[in-house]
Amino acid sequence: MKTIPAHQGKKHSRETAGEKVFNVADIVIMLIVCVIILIPMLNVVSVSMSDDKYVAAAQVSFWPRGLNFKAYETVLQSNKLLRSFLNTVFVTICSCVCSLTMTCLAAYPLAYGKFYGKRIYSLMILLTMWFSGGMIPTYMVINKLGLINSLASLIIVPLIMAYYVVVLRAFFASIPVSLIESARIDGAGEFQILWSVVIPLSKAALATTGLWTIVARWNEFLNPILYLKDYRKYTMQIVLRDIVLASSASQYDIDMESTALGEQVRNATIVVTMLPVLVVYPFLQKHFVKGVMLGAVKG
Amino acid sequence: MKRKRPSAAVIRKNIWKNRDMYLMIFPVTVYYLIIHYWAMGWLAISFYDYKLLKGFAGSKFVGLQNFEKFVTGLNFGTVIVNTLLLNFYTLIFFFPMPIIFALLLNEIKSTKYKKFVQTVSYMPHFLSAVVVVSILNVVLSPSVGFVNGFLKTLGMDSVYFMGDAKYFRGVYVMSSIWQETGWSAIIYISALSGIDQSLYEAARIDGAGKLRQIWHVSLPGIRETIILLLIMRIGNMVNLTFEKPYLMQNALNTSVSEVLSTYTYKIGMVRGNYSQATAIGLFSSLVSLIFVLSANYLSSKVTDTSLF
Repeated sequence: MKTIPAHQGKKHSRETAGEKVFNVADIVIMLIVCVIILIPMLNVVSVSMSDDKYVAAAQVSFWPRGLNFKAYETVLQSNKLLRSFLNTVFVTICSCVCSLTMTCLAAYPLAYGKFYGKRIYSLMILLTMWFSGGMIPTYMVINKLGLINSLASLIIVPLIMAYYVVVLRAFFASIPVSLIESARIDGAGEFQILWSVVIPLSKAALATTGLWTIVARWNEFLNPILYLKDYRKYTMQIVLRDIVLASSASQYDIDMESTALGEQVRNATIVVTMLPVLVVYPFLQKHFVKGVMLGAVKG
Repeated sequence: MKRKRPSAAVIRKNIWKNRDMYLMIFPVTVYYLIIHYWAMGWLAISFYDYKLLKGFAGSKFVGLQNFEKFVTGLNFGTVIVNTLLLNFYTLIFFFPMPIIFALLLNEIKSTKYKKFVQTVSYMPHFLSAVVVVSILNVVLSPSVGFVNGFLKTLGMDSVYFMGDAKYFRGVYVMSSIWQETGWSAIIYISALSGIDQSLYEAARIDGAGKLRQIWHVSLPGIRETIILLLIMRIGNMVNLTFEKPYLMQNALNTSVSEVLSTYTYKIGMVRGNYSQATAIGLFSSLVSLIFVLSANYLSSKVTDTSLF
């Protein structure tokens, strides 16, 4: 099926001069928008691969000049930085698995349950969309749990997002109840129904919430700076902040001063931090976008 | 009509029948009680002069003193004005961008080109605040950044965008436009795709050009979406994420970059005054709750569809 709207299909026959001008202008404007969006990212990539004499003179724009990968060699040599990278991967994967499991467990009873306490249970979850303890009280809780300076804090604090529960519940509720009922009649327990009926039918919604969780965890900065206290636990976002914004690369055993690679190293660290998300994104774009409309289905 | 209270035996039977459901909500409830509701309990320290080592028993109850100290303090006006102004500029300059973008994108005929533009324009949304601020620092650097390199070739002096307080709000809003315009347009794009295409044809027959079609068909078609999002945006007037203002902050621009969230962090985590910081946090979440609730009320009046 073509998705071209009808009024545009018919237009081939007689397009007025004004419309032609508009259409060309529209294409050009969109092209400019794309260029503006891509330029800063291209510039960062180019500088990270350029020779110092061009970088120092601010002569690198959108392609590398004096192409070399010395900055990447410097960055990837640092064991401390690699460790942070692995920390981030670990937190992201664990968080995705744990959050999806818990969100399913939270949403399923809301969609299909008829049990005492359902209203108060639902209220308990939804209330957190409106009001929360905030930065310091949550810090106090993590402190009391003894999770300061532990990667587990980064997984536990955002374990269930009320909004994702609402999205999943709306999606679960769109599955025909007859399927659930007939499974119940066949004697299946609720866990079994969730696992073998509901989850296989909700792959799209689960992909979306899972991907959002992955991106959110990879990009998170506030929780890491609140809860992590030493560099062995740091995630990439903190490393990036330290190297680019605080210019303290030496704590990661990266020598920026004597190698004349300071600027390239900064840019290379940005590239290393943003690349995993940007490489994955184009292939999974439709899942990311689908979720926005899922959220529009008000629970 | 009042329902008859079920007998204890019926309740017990219902609970036993739903044991799987209770097993499911058990871990969820534990999580919410500990991470969210225990944390809300900790809001109580805003009424104490709380000392971490002494606990509640050893800390002095001070009533509203922490709130008073914040509201009458020197920084109160600055922090509130900074928060509101940053949101206000975002409202004025950022809010129309996704609408304009969606309207123009909607008129692109080639589906392939449309798809390409969408892919590119959504991309910056997935960058973290640290990455965006790092890119800003690198690209706007007065010595080696390409923006200043460009200014220099035009014969202008280089500008220290990130260090000068007067550029802070501009850079903040512009980078938000760069990062979020495409993504925020999704909801408008989908609203536009729901407009009856025969309306465009009718407008064409009446001799309406493209711009008039946009004005008279497209815009009215997404009117409700615009109003809803506008109200939501105003409801979030007091909210400001912590990350971007904090990361863009430096010694030279605190006069304009200190907002409620960064101030809370500074008082609590840097100075270690947990009680004072919790009071500031509680103050801002109460004010923002009032804003959001009024916005929700307003939107339910305007469109008879409540946001939540």
